[in-house]
Amino acid sequence: MYNAQVVLPLSKKKTVTIALLGNPNCGKSTVFNQLTGLRQRVGNFPGVTVDKKVGHLELDNGSKVRLIDFPGTYSLYPTSQDERVVLNILTNKEDTHYPDLAVYVADVTNLEKHLLLFTQIRDLGIPMLLVLNMADVARKGNIWYDTTALSKALEVPVVAVSARDGDNFPQLKKDLIQLIENTPSTPTFFYQFSKGEEELAKDIQAKLSIDNPYQALLIAQNSGRLPFLTKDERDHINEFIINKNFNRLSFQVREVMQRYDRFTPMLKKAIERPEGVGLTLTDKIDAVVTHRIWGPLIFFSLMLLVFQAIYSWSEYPMDLIDAGFAGVGDLIKGTLPESWFRDLLTDGIIAGLGGILIFIPQIAILFLLISLLEEVGYMARAVFMFDNIMQKFGLNGRSIVALISGAACAIPAVMSTRTISNWKERLISIMVTPFISCSARIPVYTVLIGFVVPVTATWGIFNAQGLAFMGLYLLGIIAALISAYILKQLLHSEERSFLMLEMPEYRMPVFKNVLLNVWEKVKTFTIEAGRIILLVSIVLWVLASYGPSNKMELAETQAITIAQQKNLTDLQTEDLIAANKIEASYAGHLGKFIEPAIRPLGFDWKIGIALITSFAAREVFIGTMATIYSIGSIDDEGSIRDRMAREKDPITGQPIYTFATSLSLLIFYVFAMMCMSTLAVVKRETNSWKWPIIQFFFMTGLAYLSSLLVYQLFK
Amino acid sequence: MKKKYSMAYTLNHLQLGEQGTIDAFSDEQAGCKLMTMGILPGSEVKIVRKSPLGGAIYLKMDHQQFAIRNKEAECIMLK
Repeated sequence: MYNAQVVLPLSKKKTVTIALLGNPNCGKSTVFNQLTGLRQRVGNFPGVTVDKKVGHLELDNGSKVRLIDFPGTYSLYPTSQDERVVLNILTNKEDTHYPDLAVYVADVTNLEKHLLLFTQIRDLGIPMLLVLNMADVARKGNIWYDTTALSKALEVPVVAVSARDGDNFPQLKKDLIQLIENTPSTPTFFYQFSKGEEELAKDIQAKLSIDNPYQALLIAQNSGRLPFLTKDERDHINEFIINKNFNRLSFQVREVMQRYDRFTPMLKKAIERPEGVGLTLTDKIDAVVTHRIWGPLIFFSLMLLVFQAIYSWSEYPMDLIDAGFAGVGDLIKGTLPESWFRDLLTDGIIAGLGGILIFIPQIAILFLLISLLEEVGYMARAVFMFDNIMQKFGLNGRSIVALISGAACAIPAVMSTRTISNWKERLISIMVTPFISCSARIPVYTVLIGFVVPVTATWGIFNAQGLAFMGLYLLGIIAALISAYILKQLLHSEERSFLMLEMPEYRMPVFKNVLLNVWEKVKTFTIEAGRIILLVSIVLWVLASYGPSNKMELAETQAITIAQQKNLTDLQTEDLIAANKIEASYAGHLGKFIEPAIRPLGFDWKIGIALITSFAAREVFIGTMATIYSIGSIDDEGSIRDRMAREKDPITGQPIYTFATSLSLLIFYVFAMMCMSTLAVVKRETNSWKWPIIQFFFMTGLAYLSSLLVYQLFK
Repeated sequence: MKKKYSMAYTLNHLQLGEQGTIDAFSDEQAGCKLMTMGILPGSEVKIVRKSPLGGAIYLKMDHQQFAIRNKEAECIMLK
């Protein structure tokens, strides 16, 4: 059969590309982190939002290595987006990610099922090193294994390590050098092709000019979905398949069975494990943690802790960031002469940067806790417990974490959906999470709720305002679930949904993995979503501080004249100038421009301005209201509410903030997608503008209609 | 009156704590996915637990444990 022709020795290549491959839960990321540490970058594989981690290292022989961490998968028969990435790349030698070598990580305590994918990759002709991970666990569990015998049987070098404590990594690196300097020719095929398969492979090999028959069969198996095939190639392959009577499913079954039949006897000679002895620690923990009653109870307590942590632990660092940026802004205002540049710097850029960094504590805390739960193996249990109910809404067991974290902040919540491997379930989770009332809506609710429910009112033993607050939260949850259900019906997915989830053994978390994950999330958010947030916040600043020039000046001089007539203090004068200026600004014009559209909801142009500026962040609503009502220098919610209560309609003389208007505004804030930062994150997580745009119009449309209904009903 | 395959003995028929041996899979696609995870014809499986809200079961076999949906368990035929 075929022999690999190594054109250039790998040791002469500028950089050697090494793929890190293995099943889920094999400890692959720990191996990756051990080898690369902080010299890693996280991005997406082209065209999809599947994490691609690339790290660099230099070996003792001077070889520079680019190590790519591929998603964990059980075989080259993908059922989800991240598994498909592995197949797409490994069946296309032209791909820039196609590896020169593969490091295959397998759990030595349960080696058998790890060998399926291993032998598949070996048959693709990629030179490999088999890394037996969890040597420490094997030692404790009295599992005996013979690496030399395994190496001989599987025809690849084998090294046993413990990734958790970095044990035997020098040897792993030595083996890599050996592979690079002396790349072996491809061993014999593990899989025995049938006659028909061999002929089909030949046809495809000739058509695509590829030299590996197993690669050809995998291409036949997946021809409809491989992105690198041209239409002509695809048509030809389909013709070959019909001619040779190739049945995809039976090939798959035959292949899997044959591989198991071959390596199972090999393993019997090289590995020995004591018979199962009673209940393991994992069994004992799961008896409680997945218990019918204790299970959900423990889960919700953990989620309460997560919510509490994002909500209150982040408060102190957030205040610090807030104060820090305000301080820097003031410092610059105090030192630089007054100019548009100074204002752009302080009110545009620095305020924008502050608006990005303010989210970091929440992101860091959420991912610290989620990665810990993931690392110990708890997340799989949560999915098992809630899969059924979440399925009904087109969501995944993991979506529940996103929904609950969304109550603190939608940004880390949307980012946390990345662990959902079914694309449709993940997309639905991303789309509905922002309906859950986040902490930025609280100040808006606090100010407005007083106009809807009097402070003293009670319903039974409950404080009516408290109940109204709860009602707003419930409204968000209901909207999220109903939209999820609708999206489930609308979105089509070719992926069949499976649960089939391995419940890994409970393990102590590797803190290096946890911290690297937190670091990576924070970095990604700051760089990727941060750019969009900064841009939008500069645009919003321009809108709010500039207007048609003569009008802005006129607004200022008018304010000063009025102030002199009324004998106002300096502070009051400043507030009045600010109020007049925002009215004359582009934002003011925009507010007046949209007034006819929001009038039926009971909103005037002043509320219109606040709606526009609060796109920066919902709580900006309060600040804008303060500025518009010329009390910008006073910034507490109580005085703003008092001022709003006194606001009268200039024509009718009736109060603006009636029951109907306030309720309408509250409902608007429950539903509307008033957060550019969330949209920026959704753009990043879905890899397109399509979904954030749909989300914006869908949520804001729903908000508009609901507010319209409420106002028309109660006015 | 019994039709030949309609009463096939599947994993769903096992009670909590009962053990059975996998014979075959009635749905090839699901079967293939199970096989890639190491759940093979000939493996002995035991139902350890049902999920609190129903819909899924917790399986134990050999040295590992899995969660699968009832729907998926239906296509696992036992000896």
